[in-house]
Amino acid sequence: MTAALAIVSATVRQLLPVRRAVVFLIAEASLALVYLLMAGTFSDEAAALERLFLMVITLYFPLLVPIVTLIIASAALGSERRDGTLSFLVLRPIPRSVIAATKVFSAILVAGALNALGGFGLSAAFAIETGTWDLVIPLVAGGLVATIVYSAIFVPLGFFTDRAVLVGLLFVLIFENGVAFAAPGLSALSPWRLGFSTFNGLAPNALVDPILQEFDIELVTVSTSLLRTAVLALFSIAFVTIVLRQRDLASE
Amino acid sequence: MTDNPAFVDDPTVEVTGVSKWFGPKVAVSKLSCSFGPGVTGLLGPNGAGKTTMLRMLTGLLRPSEGEISVLGVWPRAKPSVYSDIGLVPEESAVYTHMTGRDYVKYAAVLSGIDQPRAAADRAIQTVALEDAADRKLEGYSKGMRQRAKVAAALVADPQILVLDEPLNGTDPVQRLRLIDLFRTLGDEGKTVIVSSHILDEVDRMSDRVLAIVDGRLAAAGDVRAIRRAMSDIPYRVRVETNRPRELAARLLEDAVVHGVAVEDGGLMVETEDLSALGRGVAAAAKRVEAVPTVFRPEDASLESVFRYLIGRR
Repeated sequence: MTAALAIVSATVRQLLPVRRAVVFLIAEASLALVYLLMAGTFSDEAAALERLFLMVITLYFPLLVPIVTLIIASAALGSERRDGTLSFLVLRPIPRSVIAATKVFSAILVAGALNALGGFGLSAAFAIETGTWDLVIPLVAGGLVATIVYSAIFVPLGFFTDRAVLVGLLFVLIFENGVAFAAPGLSALSPWRLGFSTFNGLAPNALVDPILQEFDIELVTVSTSLLRTAVLALFSIAFVTIVLRQRDLASE
Repeated sequence: MTDNPAFVDDPTVEVTGVSKWFGPKVAVSKLSCSFGPGVTGLLGPNGAGKTTMLRMLTGLLRPSEGEISVLGVWPRAKPSVYSDIGLVPEESAVYTHMTGRDYVKYAAVLSGIDQPRAAADRAIQTVALEDAADRKLEGYSKGMRQRAKVAAALVADPQILVLDEPLNGTDPVQRLRLIDLFRTLGDEGKTVIVSSHILDEVDRMSDRVLAIVDGRLAAAGDVRAIRRAMSDIPYRVRVETNRPRELAARLLEDAVVHGVAVEDGGLMVETEDLSALGRGVAAAAKRVEAVPTVFRPEDASLESVFRYLIGRR
């Protein structure tokens, strides 16, 4: 096993102990369960689609994906620093860039798997209700894109502050779901909108266009969304690498 | 050959004018010394700057000024040098979700060892942790965690071993075993740097001692030299008796007594020779028909010894 694989394997186990995994799985599955419980109230396929959209745009992208990713990603490096195990990791003959990349990747892997399950569950519930499976891949892909962007932000944040979850929540709840709605010009700085743009871009137009018109959300194309996501992920790895090279890695 | 006991002739680790401050607090101040093969003890009271010093040696902290060279380079500038550095940190920092064997094997894999499992087994055997190796670290005692950390530090067979209070939490048997291990590693030509605030521990482990107080080098040399430096520290001894004034007057005639004060119904006696004072108190008490009930050195703590050392520089 190479050092990089070993770090990913150890980090995944560190980030997802059994109890936490169960809690997150319940949270991810809850959207699909709620949707299925409401299924009896849908008068037709359009109503079923509208309800799905409502859950995607008010719960899945703006709350579930960022909060799950925040908790996972901020611990990827943050718990190493807080628990004092960072010295175990950095005092090895491994380039700091490898440590940075594996930590960001591990966070994406764990949070991405959970969020993909949530997206799959919700779109599968829609498919069970309507027989249309066309939204599975768009929703899973959108969730993954948002997960990558949030991980790129929250992994470094976790290194810098013990209150990363609180800071992250303020960002998500106040900025993204408050300020960015009030000032659409700022929505380009909102990670979940990149995920939603990917979902929207990949979903069949005939399905989403009529409903999307009801929501005033700034969207970008799928390619722009993917490009921004890749740039942010690379920037995050570079930033963490510089931090690990330049900053004190132990406290007083 | 260097005359300064803070330096060695064949250094593997060199510290030149190093200071470290955290905001307004100075943790280490203009410290210069070097380390070579053998065991060097870093002695100092809690908060003296030992841990900060060791963290700078390994590159965990950057010096605010000065230079550190380990095997010719500053470790952060060349991470490959870490294959030759092993650190046992002071804090109880282990991955609690891993077993002891997984933890040591993880260290071996990260160090790029070809057969990590075999290397981990050897290191675990070295610290006598075989029986607990397949249990999770969260269930380990502090002493067992210390041994697991030592195994993880040794697994890559590093040239330089940095140990921050490695005997903390270990029982007497483990302590002896680890001390033997560190001495053996030193005898094999490895550079072993071990910190402690317990003089006796350092005495048993090290051929050479650097005493650090308030972030500064207070004394350096072999253990005997440090002991000699400490031998002229005046002790303050509290003596309680039924006739304090009479005993005080008689003790003032004794050459080993530097001064006597009557305090709170007892005496506070200053001397440089504790055992001679004991004999003197017994003789004086007999002559004035006093009954001594308490004979207690008041300030023989290591902290006061260090304060004394830094004060006489």
